[in-house]
Amino acid sequence: MTTNDSQTLDPKTPVPAAPEADEGKQKLSERFNIRAIMPVLGFVVILGFFAIATGGSILTPKNLTLMLSGSYVLMIASVGVFMIMTMGCLDFSQGSMLGVTCIVVCTLSKYNVVLAIVGGIVAGGCIGAINAYFHVRRQIPSFIVTMCMMFLLRGVCAYLTTDAPAAAASYMTDFNQLPFMLGCVVVVLLIVFFLYRFTALGSNLKAIGAGEKAARFAGVNVNRTKVLVYVAAGCITGFAAFLSAIRNGSVTSTAGNMLETQILIALVLGGMPISGGAKARFSNVVMGVLSYEVLQKGLVMMGFTTEIQQLIMGVVFLIVVALFSDRDSIAVIK
Amino acid sequence: MENDILLHAEKIDKRFGPTHAVDHVSLDFKRGEIHALIGENGSGKSTFTNMLTGILPIGEGTFTLDGEEVAPKNQVDANHHGIAIVVQEMGTLSGLSVAENLFLGDEDQFMSKGIKNTAAMNKKAQELLDSYGLDHIKATSSIDNYDFEDRKLVEIVKSTWFDPKILVVDETTTALSQSGREQLFKCMMHVRELGHCVIFISHDLEEVLTMSDTISILRDGQFIKTVIKDDVTQDDLKTLMVGREMSDHYYRTDYGESLASDVAVSVKDVSVPDELEDISFDLHRGEILGIGGLSECGMHEVGKAIFGASYNRTGSVTLADGTEVNDINTAINSSIAYASKDRDNESLLINDTIQDNITLPSMRDMGHVLSDKKLKSFATEYANLMSTKMVGVSQFVSALSGGNKQKVVLARWLGKQSDILVLDSPTRGIDIKVKADIYDLLDKMRKEGKAILVISEEIMELIGMCDRIYVMKDGKINGELDRSPELTEQDVIAKMV
Repeated sequence: MTTNDSQTLDPKTPVPAAPEADEGKQKLSERFNIRAIMPVLGFVVILGFFAIATGGSILTPKNLTLMLSGSYVLMIASVGVFMIMTMGCLDFSQGSMLGVTCIVVCTLSKYNVVLAIVGGIVAGGCIGAINAYFHVRRQIPSFIVTMCMMFLLRGVCAYLTTDAPAAAASYMTDFNQLPFMLGCVVVVLLIVFFLYRFTALGSNLKAIGAGEKAARFAGVNVNRTKVLVYVAAGCITGFAAFLSAIRNGSVTSTAGNMLETQILIALVLGGMPISGGAKARFSNVVMGVLSYEVLQKGLVMMGFTTEIQQLIMGVVFLIVVALFSDRDSIAVIK
Repeated sequence: MENDILLHAEKIDKRFGPTHAVDHVSLDFKRGEIHALIGENGSGKSTFTNMLTGILPIGEGTFTLDGEEVAPKNQVDANHHGIAIVVQEMGTLSGLSVAENLFLGDEDQFMSKGIKNTAAMNKKAQELLDSYGLDHIKATSSIDNYDFEDRKLVEIVKSTWFDPKILVVDETTTALSQSGREQLFKCMMHVRELGHCVIFISHDLEEVLTMSDTISILRDGQFIKTVIKDDVTQDDLKTLMVGREMSDHYYRTDYGESLASDVAVSVKDVSVPDELEDISFDLHRGEILGIGGLSECGMHEVGKAIFGASYNRTGSVTLADGTEVNDINTAINSSIAYASKDRDNESLLINDTIQDNITLPSMRDMGHVLSDKKLKSFATEYANLMSTKMVGVSQFVSALSGGNKQKVVLARWLGKQSDILVLDSPTRGIDIKVKADIYDLLDKMRKEGKAILVISEEIMELIGMCDRIYVMKDGKINGELDRSPELTEQDVIAKMV
């Protein structure tokens, strides 16, 4: 059913105008509404599918709580990448960044919890600043910069955990309670939502995604905005590392492995246009991460092995991208 | 005489979402004629020919060429049917050689057993270029070594060397200088003499009347009338295009004292490598200052230089209060507005809404917390002030016609309350009705004491609208002309070349 809807809903390319798009104003507004509710619809479909496939057991309070608590880190880290992708850029370094900042958090937690939080955020911000330096100042495409950063940080992560996993102070796991964790996630979401929706930042990000040169000519300080967003995304991931440390209590060399891919899949599931721009909506983050989490947990509950899960995820990702990507502007990924 | 008809269009129809771009148009094109297609922006001329040439899929209806139905899948397919087009914008691919561009998509003729004979291709390309009298263009060198005009000429060769039965020339002349135009007209006459047909789209009615045999008028996607050139005057055409009598005034009519007062911007010794050399002038409040010249004379760089958008600029741009403008943000904060010649890439966010496009520079004045409602009413106010034709401000700019796009650009700067306007080719590719609106607006703003710099390739526009005209040549100012009813096109051209 996803397939059918997507055909009528794709208003991106002006060329293949469907002859049924007849009724002018009325129809146009309808199309926009469909686009807005599409991610929600997708979520309901995925949830409904697994509810039936697992005989309703995915909907038990225990499993719902489990899914929610599994989504904290992904949700927070996705917020930063959402801003980056709105500008038409990419960031593949999030996973290894989470690993490294997690080590910082765990190490500092032995002194003080506030120090741990601040340390994680600062470490993330610094990594983001390095990404921004190479992308903005040295003019290297963001996906190459962050790809290199991914390998680099993965190396750092492995090196620091060679002898033993970096363990967090024991009091850290005491924070692992639903109200606290959920509270942290909601606060981050609200802050970024406010900035995105009610300040010039959101429009500037979308403008950069829609056309960097024209944005510059309309007075958007493109370089400054990019640096700001990369640093902010780093800080946000640094904060996500704090929650990750609380949940896991320690860091191994594989911490945050594949997180960057999960973020990408989640955002695309949530309806995020891959090349960013004006059609990016904040709801893409929330709906995307929830859909992803249900999909992932559902596959686990249906008894698929990790390998098969990855395979299915890959197929789903491809299908969604193939259906929704804006082929007109796909070339502008920076 | 059925046989006279080379191409017949039967109820051609096309919609883009809510926009009915071409509304069941039926037209006949005869052998051996230059058939002009005219109409305002958004009247469906380009959409119609784009369907014929395979750039857009045909919505409904059929094209019959020489008794055979044609529905080209793409431009190369159209070429194989004998239909070619010279497009409005740049149609060559950078990074390829001239020869590769000439035979793009049609390399098969040089293929033998899967291997391309590049030498043969280059040889044939050079022969073609020579036969068009373009021996200064080398087939083997990269297309990037040539300027806009030469690339356009390469495109003309590309679409005419195989003697197409139908040649579409879509608003090409605005991009060309006088000699380039003559080259193009020669090609068009050649096609006509062969007994084939040229479909000629142009906003320049004088050109239309000189060049074409028959003229068809479209309005709002509908076919209005086909007339014989000798039966009509420019005014008749204007009336047919707009659907009502055009008022007399088009350009400014005053020739009295200039309203120019104190200096708004002082440009001193501005140079940009390979573009500008020691440009100095003052722009005053209450005047419209024009800059004209051939398209490669550097005049477009002057606009960018004032707006702080050109790289490697030396010299100074100083405002009345002493502010030095070196970057775009200073320019915008100092009330400078800029509309680029490259409207779709530099002035507008094409894949964004009208609202975002209008509000972007003004957001910084609206406080830190912005509500969508506030932005929307702001955008609506200024879009309506410019009487932009739209469904609503949430519509994407990409769906608008050229004239309406320019209105969005102007609405943006009106909203920003800019006092200094730098407008590069403000009416490029825009129909007469919107043109008249823009001229009215410029005159009004002049009277309000705003400083306006118009950079234009249209000489009549400069003569008609400007208090003073600087004519540029090879990156330097080559002469200054003052407003006067006696000023003629020839006076300006004399300084250009």
